[in-house]
Order: sequence, then C-alpha cells, then structure tokens
Amino acid sequence: MENGRNINDTLRIVIVGHVDHGKSTLIGRLFYDTGSLPGERYREIEATCRAQGRAFEFAYLMDALEEEREHNITIDTAQTFFKTPLRPYIIIDAPGHKEFLKNMITGAAAADAAILLVDGAEGIREQTRRHAYMLSLLGLRQVVVAVNKLDLVGFRRDRFEEVEEEIRGFLLSVGLVPAHVVPISAREGDNIATPSGRTAWYPGPTLLGALDSFSPAREISGLPLRFPVQDIYVGSGRRVYAGRVESGCLRAGSRAVFSPSGKKAVVRSVEKWNQPALPEARAGECVGVTFTEELFVERGEVLSEEGEASPAAREISASLFWLGNDPLRLSSRYVLKLATAEVEAVLSAITERIDSSTLEVTERHANRVENLEVANVTFTLQHPIAADTFKENPRLGRFVVEVDGFVAGGGIVREVRTDRLGRGTRVVRLHSRMMTEPDGNFVDLSQEAGSVEFEVSREFVARLGEGEKVAIRLCTADQLEKIARLAFGYGLGMTFRRGPEGNHVVLFREGPVSQAATEEGFPVI
Amino acid sequence: MDPLDALENQSIYIFREAQRKFKDLAMLWSIGKDSTTLLWLARKAFFGKVPFPLVHIDTGFKHPTMIEYRDRMAKEWEVDLIVGQNEEAICAGMTPEKGRFACCNALKTQGLQQLLDRHGFKGVFLGIRRDEEGSRAKERIFSPRDKNFEWNYKDQPPELWDQFNTSFGPDTHVRIHPLLSWTELDIWEYIRREEIPVCPLYLSKDGKRFRSLGCVPCNFPLDSGASTVDEIIEELKVTKTPERAGRAQDHEAAYMMQKLRSLGYM
Repeated sequence: MENGRNINDTLRIVIVGHVDHGKSTLIGRLFYDTGSLPGERYREIEATCRAQGRAFEFAYLMDALEEEREHNITIDTAQTFFKTPLRPYIIIDAPGHKEFLKNMITGAAAADAAILLVDGAEGIREQTRRHAYMLSLLGLRQVVVAVNKLDLVGFRRDRFEEVEEEIRGFLLSVGLVPAHVVPISAREGDNIATPSGRTAWYPGPTLLGALDSFSPAREISGLPLRFPVQDIYVGSGRRVYAGRVESGCLRAGSRAVFSPSGKKAVVRSVEKWNQPALPEARAGECVGVTFTEELFVERGEVLSEEGEASPAAREISASLFWLGNDPLRLSSRYVLKLATAEVEAVLSAITERIDSSTLEVTERHANRVENLEVANVTFTLQHPIAADTFKENPRLGRFVVEVDGFVAGGGIVREVRTDRLGRGTRVVRLHSRMMTEPDGNFVDLSQEAGSVEFEVSREFVARLGEGEKVAIRLCTADQLEKIARLAFGYGLGMTFRRGPEGNHVVLFREGPVSQAATEEGFPVI
Repeated sequence: MDPLDALENQSIYIFREAQRKFKDLAMLWSIGKDSTTLLWLARKAFFGKVPFPLVHIDTGFKHPTMIEYRDRMAKEWEVDLIVGQNEEAICAGMTPEKGRFACCNALKTQGLQQLLDRHGFKGVFLGIRRDEEGSRAKERIFSPRDKNFEWNYKDQPPELWDQFNTSFGPDTHVRIHPLLSWTELDIWEYIRREEIPVCPLYLSKDGKRFRSLGCVPCNFPLDSGASTVDEIIEELKVTKTPERAGRAQDHEAAYMMQKLRSLGYM
C-alpha cells in the first residue's frame, strides 16, 4: 500500500487478457505448482473429470459460479492465495461474465501488479489491448506478460518473438514497459514455477520468478501532505477531524492550510483510539486531528502544509474510461468524487474519443462517449475542490464519475485550472427562487464594477430547460466573459443585446435537462 | 506499512465512510472471530463508542458457550445489542432435518430480514472475507441487496480507489464488508496482536476445536491440539484443510452456499 512495506509482504496481483487465453488454467497451475491447493479439492476435481471421461482440467478451480461450471464443486477461494518461497500472493479474481470489465477494473485498481496473458497461437486481441490500456489508466506500472499456449505452436522461438514484439510495441504506446515477457504453457506447466527444457532459447525468469521481482510497496514517499477530511466527530467539547493521510506526513504542531477554502490552522493533536497522542501520521494511516483554534471545515476539504496546498480546481481535464450503460454526454451534469470531495460537474468538452482496444482517436470534439470507450475530457465544477494532477500526486489526481449514485467511470487528472477569487469578488448565485421574484428573471449587475463569480443551482438550469429565460444587465466585459463561460459549461444558449438601457445578456436553454431536478444547491448524496 | 496496519486502516476507512453516508446502520455480530474483530475495529474507528447497534441472529441452535461469551462482551464493551429470532419458523419446528438449506434460509436469512425490516436498518456491516469461499470472493465492499434481499452478482457496479457506491434506492439495503480483504490468518494474527478476547470454542479441548462457529447440529469441531492463539496461528500456517470444512451447509449440495447467498445469506 505505502512505503515501508517489506519485500516479503503479500503481493496482490490481477490476471488480465483476452477471453479464452487461459486465465483459469493459469490460476489452477499457479496453485498446483506452489503446493497451495488443498489435497481434498484436487481429488474432488480429478474425480469429476474422470467421471466425465476427461483429462484433469485446472480451469475448474476458478469457475466458482454456477453458470461457469457444469459440476458440483464449491470452490474454496482460500485457494486464491498461493505462496512462493519469497512471499504470499493474492490473486484478485475478476470473473469472466458479461460485465467483465467492471470487475477487471475493480480488481486491477486494488492490485500491486498484473499478469497480462496472451495466447501465443492467437496473438494479441481486442481485450488484450483494452485491458493493457486500462492498467495504464489505473496507474498500474508493474506488469509481466505471459505468452501462453506455446505447446500449440511447438515452443517455436520465432513465433514467441513475433508476439513479444507486437505486445511490447503496444504497451509502449500506452506508457507501459513490461518487466518481462515470459513464454509459458499453463496447461503443461512450462516456465510457471520451473524453467522449461522446451524453451532453452529463453534466458529470462519463470513467471513466478518475474512476480517475485515486483515490489508490494507503492512508492509515494516524498510527496507533500494531503489529508482529506472524511468526517467530523463532535463530542466532549471537541471537534475531531477524521481522515486518512493520502500522502506525505501529518505532524502535530505544524501550520497547515485547507484547500479549497484557504483556511489556516495549527495542528494540535494527531490521535488514534486508545493510544497516546501521536507525534505524526504517515501515508495510509487513518487518524483523528484536532486544531488549536475552533475551525469549521467540511468533509472534502484537504489539509496540506502551508505553501504546498492542492490547487482549488474549477475545471479539470482528464483521461477517463467509461463503463456506464448510457453514454457520457457533453453538457450533461455528473457527480465527481475525488478523495472525499463530491462535486457536481458539467462535462464541458470531449476533446478526444478513443477506441480502448485500438487506441485510435475515433472522434475529436465529440458529443458523447460510449460504454468501454476512453476519452480525454474537461469537467467544469459547480464549486472548487482540491485536486492535483495524477502526475504530481496519484492519490489526489484520480476520480470517479457517478450516474444515479453508481460509479460509471473513472479518470486521472491531466490538468487543473483554478479560478482564484480575488479580494472583493462578488458571488452572484443564480437559483430558481430568482425566477419567482416580483421583477421576474432579471439580474442587475450594472452597478457591479468589480469582479463577479457565478454559482448556478441545478434547479435553475432545470427551470431554463422548461423554457424560462433570464436576463442579466451588465456593467463590464469581464462579466460578459464569465457568463459566456457559464453558458458553455452548462450547455446554455445566450444572446447579447446592446440597447438604450445598457448591455443585456439573455440566458436560455433548448431542450429539457437530462437529470431530474432536486433541491437547491448541492447534489443530494 | 505493516500488512496488519494496512488492513486495519482500510477497515477503519470503510467504517467511517459508511457512517458518514448512511443513517440507520447496524452490525451483524455472529459471535465468531471475524465479526468480533470487526467490532474491535468499529471501536477504533469511532474512538471507543460504537455508534450503531449490534445484531445477533439467534437460531436457537447456538452453543451455550457462545451465548455466555456474547453477553459478557456486550456488557464489557458497552454496546447496544439486539438479539433477533425467526420465532415463527422456530415455533413451526424448523430444524436441519427439514433440509439444511431450508433451515439456514429460514432461521438465519429470514431471521435477519425480519429484524432489518422491523428496525428499518438501511445498512448492515458484515464480517465476511473474500477468502472464505467462492461466492464471497465476488463481493464488493459496499454491496446492495434489493427488497427481496437478492444479490445480483453478475452485474455489480465497479468499485475502485475507495470510492464506494453509497447511493441506493429506497427499497435497497446495503451490506458493508470492512473485512473483505482479510484472510483467516490475518484475523488470528490481529487477534494476537491486539489481544482481542475470542469465544473459547476456538481453542482446543480434548483434541478438538472449532475453526468456524455455527449452529450445533451443522457445525463440527476439527481434530486439533491448538489451545492458544499462538498455536492456532502455527496450525493455520501449515494446514491444507479449508476453513469451513466443519460447516455442513457448504457440502450439502452443489452451489448451496451460492444459492443461500443470492437469497441473502451472509
């Protein structure tokens, strides 16, 4: 998980690749060759195979779910754990039903390393490429490629090298360099735990040897402090801010600043239950924090050391993978969850739509992203949140997108744009209540020479969707620019009119709003 | 970070996330080692005061030692304990003789369902682990169940980067699994490190001990001389016997565990 983990600590791996390239057989073989399979299970499976007049099939081991099996074996997933002399391993299973990619992503996001499995006879296929791309987007960098079923091509070196060259080329294009590319036969046990005599031309490690070369420590030391507030517990006259140190080190007594609010505070104590107060907490630790003065910050704010706070993002550009049943649509509203912050956001640009199995840009400046596609997009946030780029801080540079309360996609932040509120900025809140006031849908900014910011409620946009319009009387060109950006972000139409009574903008919307309106302001969680 | 610390922190994070997101939470305490560890972690997460009630579904077939231990610990740790029973099924004479599947389903699953309905709990913490048996390996940390308690394991939303699915419809209740990533050995090593008191049935007596606690008629002790937590840990490091080998319902019939679980069994 974090720095300070030992080479002998458990390594979590995920096995990905095209369907039928031999995943179940490989897992069965890994158990068998490491002596991790309870004898009882092995005998049961052997008996099943005999009864069917078939050869022993390792693949049965993993087929734990009913529709994946023909026979009555309750699989004991204690067997998703195997050991080498170096350390224990956990295989995070991603079963192969129709929603495979959701499970694969769920598994891979929690893994330390991946085995990318390729059928040496068939070569790399659509899912081989798609899964490799997902590994890259999930930030997984420890990858070994296993070229399987070499028994079917007579362990020919030239065939192996053909596949190796192709897969290395593809991986490089998504920013992955495999630690090793290993020629194997999972069915016959070549180069899994012991070197195979049939691949004398191959100088590298066995598959288990390659796994043993990986590290369970995900190196995130040396990064600045990021402590997102998860919850606030009020009791016995104190406010304890609970959360997890995502990176860096949180020290008692340090001067700290919250992002995006900019509030400053001195850390009074760092606490865990039933322990004396801690001098500090490191990445990965869940603690409670108190401050020397009474503070009111909410969940989602991120504590940093003064001078190295996360920027307060108003706009986020990201690479995103989409798993939703409905397409991701331009100008629609979504909920973004980044660390503990949740914010409504409008998809304001889809700069590139990408086929995740070929990496081809299928469309630029698109208006939708379909299930299983990847895209480069921009979100405009309803209010600022603390965010880093993935490159600067992987923990604060990744987010998920929710549709109707369910995660439907995820992404990594490529670029953050802030919009610092200068002193004396007036925040103009556009909400539905304006629409019922006596003077109708009219906002007068003609006396506001200073800078303005707009905050827009969901209800307001919904009302525009029902055909209402709102007129805004302007004072400065800066206001015009801000309103134009707002219209762009929320998918609104806009007309500008210069008349005897000054400059006017009218905002409207064509067509209904996609999401049902709820209440004012923040999304209902 | 030490692996046990990493697991502990992850579980605490899950507890705090659930507590923040849901009203009307409860925790299922089966009196076994896993849910007792879960309770210990809840005390850590909330600085000693568990903010939700604990629920024990008593099938009437539980070992008296378990009941005695339950009441003693509940008092010592000052937790709010709710004991539930499917009284109707018990009065109608439901026993494993009527079929283990029917019995588990009536006394445990329906017993829990009735209690959740009665109290209006929207979320339940459970101490299941991914390594226990096949169908549990497919679980998510936040796992929704529809109003019929059913689990659609074929179409679960993705769960990544500790961003959990926490918005569910009014007819859904959510099961929360803070121990999903723990192994049997992790649990015992943590019990040793934290000195968590466990039910005495786990410790060997007359050459036998329980590795997993269930109901008296359907749960059998295994041959073992491990009479201390240290000895249990040593035994687990070399054993090839599955953890639930003493649980009859796992062996009863093909897919029984999976069927039970898709109907709401833990």
